[in-house]
Amino acid sequence: MARPQARYRRSFGDLSERALAFWLLLPAALLLGFIALYPVLRLFYTSLFTLQLTVSPDANFLGLGNYGQALHDPRFWNAVKNTLLIVLITVPGALLVGLGLAMLANLPFRVKWPVRLGLLLPWALPLVFVGLIFRWFFDSQYGVVNDLLVRLGGERLLWVTNPDLAFWAICLTLIWKTSSFVALILLAGLQTIPKELYEAAKVDGASRWQEFWRVTLPLLTPAILVAMIFRTIAAFQTFDVPYAMTGGGPGNATETLAMYVRVQSIENLNFGYGSALAVLMFLLSMAVTLVYLRYVRGADE
Amino acid sequence: MKKLVLALVALAALSSAVAQQTRLRVFVGGQQRPDVMRKIFDLYQSRNPGVRVDIETGGATSDQQQQYLTTVLASRDPSIDVILVDVIRPAQYQASRWADTLDKYLPGVTRENLLKQYLPAYAKADVVNGQLVALPAFADAQFLYYRKDLLEKYGFKPPTTWDEAIKQAQTILAGEKNPNLNGIGFMGNISEGTVCSFLLPIWAAGGDVTDANNRLILTEAQAKDSLQFWLDLMDKHKVSPNNMAEKAQDIIRQEMQQGRWVFGTLFAYAWNRFQNDADSQVKGKIGVVPLPKFEGGRSASCLGGWQWTISDFSRNKAQAYKLVRFLSSPEVSKILAIDASNLPVFPSLYKDPDVLKANPWFADALPIVQNARSRPVHPRYTEIADVMRKGLNAVLARTKTPEAAAKEIVSGLQAIYGK
Repeated sequence: MARPQARYRRSFGDLSERALAFWLLLPAALLLGFIALYPVLRLFYTSLFTLQLTVSPDANFLGLGNYGQALHDPRFWNAVKNTLLIVLITVPGALLVGLGLAMLANLPFRVKWPVRLGLLLPWALPLVFVGLIFRWFFDSQYGVVNDLLVRLGGERLLWVTNPDLAFWAICLTLIWKTSSFVALILLAGLQTIPKELYEAAKVDGASRWQEFWRVTLPLLTPAILVAMIFRTIAAFQTFDVPYAMTGGGPGNATETLAMYVRVQSIENLNFGYGSALAVLMFLLSMAVTLVYLRYVRGADE
Repeated sequence: MKKLVLALVALAALSSAVAQQTRLRVFVGGQQRPDVMRKIFDLYQSRNPGVRVDIETGGATSDQQQQYLTTVLASRDPSIDVILVDVIRPAQYQASRWADTLDKYLPGVTRENLLKQYLPAYAKADVVNGQLVALPAFADAQFLYYRKDLLEKYGFKPPTTWDEAIKQAQTILAGEKNPNLNGIGFMGNISEGTVCSFLLPIWAAGGDVTDANNRLILTEAQAKDSLQFWLDLMDKHKVSPNNMAEKAQDIIRQEMQQGRWVFGTLFAYAWNRFQNDADSQVKGKIGVVPLPKFEGGRSASCLGGWQWTISDFSRNKAQAYKLVRFLSSPEVSKILAIDASNLPVFPSLYKDPDVLKANPWFADALPIVQNARSRPVHPRYTEIADVMRKGLNAVLARTKTPEAAAKEIVSGLQAIYGK
C-alpha cells in the first residue's frame, strides 16, 4: 500500500495532501460554481429588482417586494397546487407501475430484449414528444382514447378541455413516461438481491407474498428511495408534458409552477417577478429534497 | 524582405476588401415564406454588390418567434440586424429599447410623407410614443371563408350578419346530414388567434378595448356578450362542435381544407392553401367575404401584418436601414403579393393587374384591410393577450361562466392599464 502512494507523491512534486486535494477538486468546483452556483445566485439577485422589459429596460431595486407579490398572487397558488398534486399523484403512481415493470423484467424470460426494450422506450422519448403524442391520443375528435371509449359503448370525453380530465390525462401521461425510469433503477436494485435469500425463504415454506414483503421489499428500499428522490425533484419541475398537452388550459387549470415562471419571464418579459417565482420553486423542491436526504441518512444508520 | 512586405500589403488589401463587404443578418419566421424572402434578398444583393444578406429563420408562429428573439435581444446579441415582427410587437420593442428608431435616417423625406403611402393602420402601428420603430412589410386581416358550393346549393348569398351565418349553417347542417361537417369555425384554444376571436364580437357590436387616448373602456357587459356569443354557437345554435376550446387557427384551416366546415374565420394565408395544396378537397369551392356584423353594428376584422424593424444591438444600422427601406418599398410589396399571396401594404397594389392575376380575390380585400381594427397597442400586449385568450378558452371549456370570465378579463386589464 505504501509504495503506490509514494509514487503519487513524487509525481505531484512536494504537494501536501491538503494542497493536492485542493488542486484536484478545483476544476470540478469551478465548473459547478459556474454552471450551478452562479446562476442560482444571479437568479436570487435579479429577484430583488423590478425588471420588466415591456415597461422599461432598467432595473430598480425592490427588496423582497416580488416575493410579497407572489404570496398574494392567486395564479401562483394555483400553480403551486397543481404542481403539488402532480407530485403527489405521479410519484407514487410511477413507483407502483415501475415496481411492477421491474418485477416483470426480472422474471427469467428466455428472450429478454422485448421486455427490456419496452422498459427503455418511454424513457428514451423526449418529454415534449410524449406530450404531443398523448395530446393526440386524448384529442376529443381524433384521439385513440375516445375511440376506445366509444367502441366500449361509452361517451366521448373532452379530455384536454375539461379541467379535471385534463389533469388526469396529464398525470397518466407522466406516469407512463416516468415509470420506466423508476423501473430501470428498481431492476438494478432487484438484481443485487442474492438468490440464496429466495431459496432460503422457499425452504422455510414462505408464500410468494411473504417472499415479496419480507425479502424483496426491505432489500429494495434503498433503490426505491433513490428513485423517489429523483422523481420528486423532476416532478416539481414538471413543464414539458402539460405545456405540450394543454398549454396550462383550460384557462389556467393545469398550469404548473415551471410553466408560470416561463410565462412571466419569457412571455411577459418580467424577469424580476419571474426570478422570484423561480427562487420560490427552487426553495420548495430544496425543502422536499432535504426531508428525503434526512430520511435516507436515518435509514443508513 | 521584399517578399514579406509584398505579402503584407496583399494581406492588408484583402482584409480591407473583406471589410467593405457588409453582412446583414435578417430574421424571418418560418411561416413568413423565407423562400420568397431569399429571392428578394438576392435581388438586393445584385443591386448592392458590397452587401451580403443572410437569412435566419425559426418559429412557425408569432409566439414561437418571439420566444427565440427574446433570448437573442434580452442578451443584447448583435448577430441579427433586421427582424420581421408581428404587428402587435413594435410597442414592446420600443419600450424594451430593442428597436432602433428610424427617424434619424430619414433624409429629405418627412416621416408623414413616407408613411402616407402605406395603409394608415400600419403607419399608426409603427409609430410608438412619437418614434418610428418599424416599416410595414405586408398586410393581413381576418376574413370569413365560406363554402361557395354548399351556400349555392341551398340558395344562400354570403352572410353579412352573424344571425344570417348561423341560420345558413343550421340549414346546411340539417340538409347535409353529414356527421363530419361543422358550421362555424373559430379559434378557441390558448393561442394568439383566440385574442381575435374574443375581440371580433366586441368590435362588431361597435365597442372597443381602448379609446383614442389608449385608455381602457371595455366594460364587463361587452366582454360578457362576446364570450356568450361564442359559447352560444356551440350550446344554443349547435353550429360549432363542443370541443372548440381545442381549436387553433391552423387546425380549423386543415379541417376546412378537408371539407369539414361551412364557415371559417381565418387570416389571409388560408386562401393559398385551400387553392393550391395538393391535399385540398375544396379547390375552387371557397369564397371570401368580410366578417359578418351584428344587426345595427359594423363589420370588423382583426388586423394582422408584419413589420421590418432594426435591432438596436446591430452593428450595421445604416446599411440595415437601406435594406429596410428597400424591403418596405412598393416593388417588394408587389413581389410578396404575387409570390407569397401576402396582402400589399400599398393601397394602389390592390388594383395592380399582375397582383390580381395571381390573387383575384385581392380586388375585394382592400376595404376589409382598411376597416380592420388593431388589437390593443401596448408594450405589455402579451399580458393583455393572455388575459383575453385564457378568458375565452375557459368559457369554451365551460370551466367558467361568461359572467365570471368577463369580470376576470376586465379586472385583469385594469391591472395592466392601471385604472
